[in-house]
Amino acid sequence: MPHLLRKTLPTLILALSGGVALDAAAASISRLTPPSELFASGEADPVVARFLPGQLFDLQATVQPDPGQTIRSFTFYVDGDFVRRKDGTLSNVTETGPAETCIDAQSGKTKGASGCTLVAGLPANTAVISQRGYSNAKPGVHELKVIARQYDGKEISAVGNFEIVGIDKGEGAVAKNIIVLLGDGMGAAHRTAGRIMAKGYAQGKAKGKLAMDTFPYTGMVMTASLNSIVTDSAPGMQNYVTGNKANNNEEGVFPDDTLNAFDNPRVEYLSEYLHNLQGKALGVITTADVFDATPASNGVHTSARGNGTGIVDQFLDDRHLTGLSVLMGGGRKWFLPNESNSVSPQPANGSQRRKANDYVLPSDVVAGWGAAPGKLDPERDLIADFQTAGFKYAPDKSALDELFKRGVPDQLLGLFAYSNMNVAYDKIAGRRGDGTVVDEFGFPDQPMLDEMTDAALKVLSKNPNGFVAMIEGASIDKQAHLMDSDRWPLEVIEFDRAVAVAKAFAEKNPDTLVIVTADHECSGAAIIGASVKTAADLEANPALGKDAVGVYEAAKFPKYTIAEDGYPTTTNVDHKMLIGYGANADRYETWLPNAFPTKDTQQPFPPSESPANPSVRNEGVGFLVVGQVAGDQAVHTGTDIPLSAFGQGASLFHGVFDNTDVMFKIGQAAVGGVQ
Amino acid sequence: MSSLALSLARVLALGAALFAASAVPAHAAAGHPGVVKPPASLAVTKPLGAAPAGVTDLKFRELFKLPVGPQGLEPTEKLAGLDGKRVRIVGYMVQQEPPIAGGFMLSPLPVAAGDADDSYADDIPASAIFVTLPKGADTIVPPLAGLIQLTGTLHVGARDMAGAGRVAPAVLELDRAPERSLLRQAKTIATSSAKAR
Repeated sequence: MPHLLRKTLPTLILALSGGVALDAAAASISRLTPPSELFASGEADPVVARFLPGQLFDLQATVQPDPGQTIRSFTFYVDGDFVRRKDGTLSNVTETGPAETCIDAQSGKTKGASGCTLVAGLPANTAVISQRGYSNAKPGVHELKVIARQYDGKEISAVGNFEIVGIDKGEGAVAKNIIVLLGDGMGAAHRTAGRIMAKGYAQGKAKGKLAMDTFPYTGMVMTASLNSIVTDSAPGMQNYVTGNKANNNEEGVFPDDTLNAFDNPRVEYLSEYLHNLQGKALGVITTADVFDATPASNGVHTSARGNGTGIVDQFLDDRHLTGLSVLMGGGRKWFLPNESNSVSPQPANGSQRRKANDYVLPSDVVAGWGAAPGKLDPERDLIADFQTAGFKYAPDKSALDELFKRGVPDQLLGLFAYSNMNVAYDKIAGRRGDGTVVDEFGFPDQPMLDEMTDAALKVLSKNPNGFVAMIEGASIDKQAHLMDSDRWPLEVIEFDRAVAVAKAFAEKNPDTLVIVTADHECSGAAIIGASVKTAADLEANPALGKDAVGVYEAAKFPKYTIAEDGYPTTTNVDHKMLIGYGANADRYETWLPNAFPTKDTQQPFPPSESPANPSVRNEGVGFLVVGQVAGDQAVHTGTDIPLSAFGQGASLFHGVFDNTDVMFKIGQAAVGGVQ
Repeated sequence: MSSLALSLARVLALGAALFAASAVPAHAAAGHPGVVKPPASLAVTKPLGAAPAGVTDLKFRELFKLPVGPQGLEPTEKLAGLDGKRVRIVGYMVQQEPPIAGGFMLSPLPVAAGDADDSYADDIPASAIFVTLPKGADTIVPPLAGLIQLTGTLHVGARDMAGAGRVAPAVLELDRAPERSLLRQAKTIATSSAKAR
């Protein structure tokens, strides 16, 4: 920085703040990343941030200098040793937006307005200082210290800690392939409901087990995020595959104090770690829009899960970091070119690519991570770019089958819907000849998750170094949010059929670890009993539903008939299983199936017959169940969820453990081995 | 599902849809304080008669070809043929936060959208169009409850409506009559709000 500017900068800052007296609080560091309880409270335990040996993460601090001062330089220390710097990996971010927009004249604090740099409420001279792409190979708890220096020479420092979790080498065979099957929102009740419907019970015993029930090891997972006992799907997934807690809405990053959603301090994903270390490939397979929180939380770094354009771009742009070889799900709207991103009209193709949710990375992130810099390019034809990169593209089930008739592709992109794919209940109805729903949504030929899983595993297993696959049954959660008790159990069944495919793969390939879990429970679902009314009675007089719940022995054992396709011939059986919701919003209940799915918040072509939400679905017909939460959907809960494991390394997964522990168990299985 | 159950369920779903169309639906206003009844001339409370002479009825499901092909959506011939023509369309005003001056999104279903959070913007169906008030560029139309009918000149072609946080496939430039109704209502509400303060 030029000498003159250095001398005058404090004065400029004061002027920018409107000339008012700035907060006279002593200089301090208000955030130190990675997060630690040592920094937050002075207590050394629990150690919050943990990493595998060599796993990359960023170091960052938010520094609030003395009034009138700015930060001249900074240094991070680990265990008292200066942290070496790679070229271009440092940054010092301050508020550079227009003072009248970004600084409150009265308080001298940042306003966090659009076009500004820093979040609201910070002193105008705050600096966010970063060192990107750090790693440490030495197991144990380490002290992290930062020293920031003001222009007047004063030093400001803070101390935190993090842990490197060691990998015991030579413990046994390693897991070459890692398959994580994630039933979004699937708690114990969802699993049980799927079993009751798919297998049936007799004289108190299940007549069969779900595929996930047959896994030899099961544990319970604590699912809290960094900032709540109740997580959303972003940290719910990313906590498993980074080993660290994220805030809600954030994927592969720690929270920070800047407004840019793509500059947060990063933490390396399992996929990146194992691609870098062992050359593994990555597959992301979901029934949701591929930009959704769970799929994105396996290879994309952002603090805003809604940034669809930037998220799908990163999937392709950073494949050299993640090893991405398979991407399948919905979400085609993010891949279509929006030629101008301007007010001039373009041919309407349904593209929702916009500059506002695209990405460009700061240079320190690019230098520290070797990441693609990104570009605000709504005009990008991302399907074409995937194809140019060697991916074969399948827009529907028939095309997917056709591709494989010509041989197993090396890389595969499947985009089977404009946004989320239709749910199993409606896809199966379409295959049985009633395409009312899938036709109206515009995508009558969508694959089931087990078919996608089979295709994905064929592609991924071509990599001699193995793979990491995340396979998500996304709409267990989405339909539980909507309290559609006929649709989400079929989502569980569809998901379990994918589990069976993965298990069969692992039986043929014993160097495979398969984990079945969820990111969180959704809706507080509970099997409260079964109907004491027949289906015909309820259809003839839905008002009977008020007194339909048979509890205890009155519930008996609901019986469903399973068709050859593996799904119930109907969910509307006599004396059907009934579901209650402990995290519910208002809904009208009839206990009868609805022909059209309730509007999913991301569905593309909602038929006009689709109810807008559960608070109007069956209104005027069903009885009102008063909810305990605001809004019109059920919500996630903080209840522990089950995790089952099969294959090489499965024995590590038992007891009660934190969701971040999964990363280290997988690390041990994949790198160190397990007897 | 049995065919009987399916039929009944369809009736129930349609009943809900009809109910939503026949009254000021609570769900359209849920969570959006300040939602008002639309001007009587725009509110849809019963099946509409034939469109006025020179005006073509356009339904949301007529915007794009179905099924969707291997790439993007394709406008129907009907939509393409209505470029620059007067149309009547029935839909729900998207509850936008913050609201947009001079226009709003019109959707086949009642939805909410927040530009600050693009995941909310993702709520809006692909067929939602943008509605503009030619003489009310600075006017913020208050959030309207329920189904409304609008007539105006249709301009076909994708545009990034920055305020709406959305790319819209077409823009409806309102006729003078519906625009006047909306401007008058907006002015009345603004005046009464000012008096209340």
